Amino acid sequence: MKIVLYLHMHQPWRLARFRYLDLGSGRPYFDVERNLAIFRGIAERCYVPTLDRLTRAAREDSGFRVSLSITGTFLEQARLAAPEVLDRVRELYRTGQVALVAETYYHSLAFLVPAPELQEEVEMHRAMLRSEFGAAPKVLRMTELAYSDDLARFAEAEKFHGMLAEGWEGILRGQPPTMRYCAAPAPTVRLLLRHYPLSDDVGFRFSSTGWSEYPLTAEKYANWIAATPGELVGLFMDFETFGEHHSARTGILEFLSALPRMVRTHPHLGWATVDEAIAGPPHADLSAPYTMTWADQNRDLGAWLGNDLQRSAFEAAKKVGQAVRQADDPAILTDWRKLLTSDHFYYMYVGGHGADQGVHEYFSSYDSPYDAYANYMNALTDLRRRALERLGVPTLK
Amino acid sequence: MPRSSLLSALTALRLSPRPLHIVMVGWEWPPHHTGGLGVHSFELARELTRLGHRLTFLTPFTGPFTPVDGVTIRFPGAPERDAPAEFPTAYWAGGTPDSPFWNATDGYNSWVAQVAGVADADVIHVHDWFGTEGAIALARRLRRPLVMTVHSTEYDRSLGHPWDHILRREQIGIDAADRVIAVSRHLRLQLVERYHADPGKVRVVYNAVRPNERLAEIDPKRRVVLYVGRLAAMKGVDTFLRAAARVVPQFPDALFVIAGEGSEYSRLLHLTAALGIGDRVMFLGKVSEEERELLLAGSSVFVLPSVVEPFGIAALEAMAAGVPTIVSKTSGIAEISSGVFQVDFWDVEEFASRIAELLEYPTLRRAMGEQGRWEALREGWPERAREVVSVYLEAMEAYRPP
Repeated sequence: MKIVLYLHMHQPWRLARFRYLDLGSGRPYFDVERNLAIFRGIAERCYVPTLDRLTRAAREDSGFRVSLSITGTFLEQARLAAPEVLDRVRELYRTGQVALVAETYYHSLAFLVPAPELQEEVEMHRAMLRSEFGAAPKVLRMTELAYSDDLARFAEAEKFHGMLAEGWEGILRGQPPTMRYCAAPAPTVRLLLRHYPLSDDVGFRFSSTGWSEYPLTAEKYANWIAATPGELVGLFMDFETFGEHHSARTGILEFLSALPRMVRTHPHLGWATVDEAIAGPPHADLSAPYTMTWADQNRDLGAWLGNDLQRSAFEAAKKVGQAVRQADDPAILTDWRKLLTSDHFYYMYVGGHGADQGVHEYFSSYDSPYDAYANYMNALTDLRRRALERLGVPTLK
Repeated sequence: MPRSSLLSALTALRLSPRPLHIVMVGWEWPPHHTGGLGVHSFELARELTRLGHRLTFLTPFTGPFTPVDGVTIRFPGAPERDAPAEFPTAYWAGGTPDSPFWNATDGYNSWVAQVAGVADADVIHVHDWFGTEGAIALARRLRRPLVMTVHSTEYDRSLGHPWDHILRREQIGIDAADRVIAVSRHLRLQLVERYHADPGKVRVVYNAVRPNERLAEIDPKRRVVLYVGRLAAMKGVDTFLRAAARVVPQFPDALFVIAGEGSEYSRLLHLTAALGIGDRVMFLGKVSEEERELLLAGSSVFVLPSVVEPFGIAALEAMAAGVPTIVSKTSGIAEISSGVFQVDFWDVEEFASRIAELLEYPTLRRAMGEQGRWEALREGWPERAREVVSVYLEAMEAYRPP
């Protein structure tokens, strides 16, 4: 039984308050200082101490493995705010016990935007991993672990050997999530699945004092993994789980440090990177006619495109994309792509779904989804104006 | 039938044998009015003209005046236009008998006494004490009856510390008038008892509220940004106007409607003019409950820009009507609602942007309207009553007899 620990590193470029009256003012959409300040805080609480612990674990245990995905927007902010974080990622990567995972550069919803956006963003991200870390990723993950048959075909066309997906009953149909699968429409693409109960025990429940299993110790957790039948157990979660979503006070960092030790007490347990885990024959093939994600109770795109605000904003972004493409201006294209980052749509989520609501509020950078929508639409409207201006089309505003 | 008995029969039927020319010795007239007297004069004059009568309205102030067919407005200096009195922003502040205000009042009375071109008047009608001296002189000069309406008395206004010279002007008016109109039976009794008015000549005519017809003047093609509330400094209506000035250039269909009255009215009117948005702002004055509901039903955005607002029930009513709402962060309503935009009360640019955003994005308008409605209606008075009862129970629980 191999443990596939995969951690996702991402920070979005959050928008500044861009007022309607700021349209045409030339004010920047993104509040660089605020984003960097947030980044520095998380670097101190989470990225630096967690990377140090992972590197130590790799040095102490040659069997330890971890896989990381690092978005382009994360890298841009890290360079400006906390280069020591990137130094630590490189140090960890040099242990040779790490795989890097491909995705869209902007952590975007590009897979719902007309081609060639998705292909270009994935290529941008690949180029970034190559130049920053000398890495050539074999496995692709899509934003928010989105997966569908269409995305498997895309992965195949882009010469990826594997994809990550949610281990959700909807596609498993009674089969265990702890096996290696392949995509039904693209059999060369292996699928590694997230074991969501075990992943969420750490990701969501670790610090819940009301949880019947609280406190979760590394020993107990290793026992649970050991008792899980199958060949692979996918522990996929945000990197920020360690020190940020759960603060250091909760003991999460000690938990992470202790886990490799506790795993060693079970002889049949080991670790694998995503690149190692895809090697081998598939247990079965899986079909996913609809897009599935790792979010919320419904595992759909509802967290990003579930309400009228979100759909309206995303449709507007797609439409503006046509003008942006035609304008052929690198600055305009970059701003548009930053606006495709999924987080912007997440902030427009309107509550009412019980357990998920608290999670959404925690992650929002606005007072309300209406603030998020208005601000986003202002920036997008301004971007559209710039693109049209570039094209020589007169605009009213 | 003898003429006198015809007149009394018509009087009983409240019909006039012929169109009358009424010279009304007034004070203020819309759109400039700081109190109820201006509205009263305007409404009464308009109805009198509808009954076929002609009216000359005398005022100490300069225009512009809201025009009414059949009403000629005269003021000192007109038509020569040699610098008539500016509309005072705070005449009610009074001052000493030597102040410019008192000089202006004296000047007004001398002008009224001498006013030309009203020889065909049938009756002189004076309101309150401001112009009684002039009105009495005018009636004597023209040999026409004098009617005086008393809206309130100096005893009541001064809470028992009346100015002698105001009392005097009230008294001479009541003494000289052929008929006195009191706006309530209570006031009539006061006139008889305190001012020794002849009970036989004091009639009671109550004030009225008319349906707010300006409501119908709102062009349905316009999109309404609404404020409902008192026109008081703490309400921050000037922020509403300044934000309007920032919004109107980009939204040619936006109309900023202000429903309510109060002491800030004339200052806000001047501000509107100074901002150059007179054609994009409508002051409705007081509206009834039904009219407010109509207004809300037709509004795109509701704004409550209060500097101080312990709760803000007007915003809650707008939300209940499904109108997307912007409130200042200092209002109590901000504590319980996530479906409204919250803005620092001093931040004109932000108010303007929020208004513009709601006018610009229909999806936002709809989503906030729905959310606001849900928030406003989820807990009604039954819930509040239960909360109050729980406070009673707490108090009873905590109570220790001394």
